[in-house]
Amino acid sequence: MKQRTPVIVAAISGFILLAAFLFQEFTAPYLGLVLNWAIIVSSVALLVAIASLVVTHIRFIVIGRKGFLYSIVLVVSFLATLILGWYLGLDDPDYLEGIRTVLVPLENALMGLIALILMSGAVKIFRVRGWSILTVSFGLSALLFLFLNLGFLRFDSIPGVNVIVSNLQRLPIIGARGLLIGVALGALLMGLQVLFGQEVMRE
Amino acid sequence: MSTVDLLLLLAGLVLSLMVFSYLLGDTLLFGIAMYTLVGVSAGFTVLVLLQKVILPMAISPLSAFPQTSAFLALVPLLLSVLLIWMLFKKTSRVSGIPLGFLGGVTAAALIIGVTRGTLVPQLLSIVNAFDPNKMTSAGLPNWTGIFEAFMMLAGVVAVLFVFHHQKVKKQKDAFSNSWLDGLTGFGQVFIGITFGAIFVGLFSTGLVALIAYIQYLVDFAGLW
Repeated sequence: MKQRTPVIVAAISGFILLAAFLFQEFTAPYLGLVLNWAIIVSSVALLVAIASLVVTHIRFIVIGRKGFLYSIVLVVSFLATLILGWYLGLDDPDYLEGIRTVLVPLENALMGLIALILMSGAVKIFRVRGWSILTVSFGLSALLFLFLNLGFLRFDSIPGVNVIVSNLQRLPIIGARGLLIGVALGALLMGLQVLFGQEVMRE
Repeated sequence: MSTVDLLLLLAGLVLSLMVFSYLLGDTLLFGIAMYTLVGVSAGFTVLVLLQKVILPMAISPLSAFPQTSAFLALVPLLLSVLLIWMLFKKTSRVSGIPLGFLGGVTAAALIIGVTRGTLVPQLLSIVNAFDPNKMTSAGLPNWTGIFEAFMMLAGVVAVLFVFHHQKVKKQKDAFSNSWLDGLTGFGQVFIGITFGAIFVGLFSTGLVALIAYIQYLVDFAGLW
């Protein structure tokens, strides 16, 4: 009973947006307005989430919870970025250069680390899941595409091999298409369940 | 190179070395690097949201007060206040209203986006493979085109069937049918091939980043 209000609000706003989208000829200005409202509210939701994160870490520092050093790092870096950005302005080149100096090396280093972790993960998959159709086809495909993507060998000059290679390169499209359709059907079903209130009723 | 540039380069080097300390099992430096990333990203996100969304889209329209646009701007503002109320009282019933609004709008956008952006184009591309013009060439059957079209259809059906069959098999342990198991295996081959190709794409990107980082180290060492 307590959950009825959000379910009704979700259903009404969802159906209005769907109707506005389907009859765009008459509802175009309202569609833009509702979408603008959604952008503002979702931005505020993100701000609330970040505020909640920062408040939680401040609480960890106050009570001296284990690993509160990390919380200090998070709160200091958050406040420094926010205060400096507010004072200097979001478009200030020095501020943006400072942000880039922190974020770009961290992201690049993480990406490099991912390459090494993926390598060990690929070996681990055979140990954890054993030899099955899925793992063998995954391993063979990974080896084949790694070999093809390295570009050590050129197949342009050999007509027969060229056709085989181009057909092999199209094989992942079949699986990707099946996975995309599966995910899309799942998302569609979930969206309809939210609109009809079934997602909440089931809980 | 100026002193500021050198300091920025040094800061970047230290931060990336802290990330790679993960390989030595040093979780303290890695943790500091990760929490710095989260803190800076969160601070920058808050700033962008405030200066590019909240102030121009929600606060500024209020200045034109007797006009309709100002009254319309009150609606998201009210919803935002109800949402912020959640920070102080987590079990508040009124906070459910903006969340419900967001849920409904997201669900509707999901239905529209998924239908028009994914489902219809993907299904059409399968149907278009059976286009008679693609299946014939100069009045004769184009066997490659026919094979590709049927392979595409069978592959997609098999991949979709994998998920359904796994779910049914979990529900009924004893259920086994060689024909259905065969179709599932066929689907698993395509899933494996796709994941293998995606893995290689990710791995190559990571490798390029790693090589760029090593080059960065070499360049830094070359300064002296």
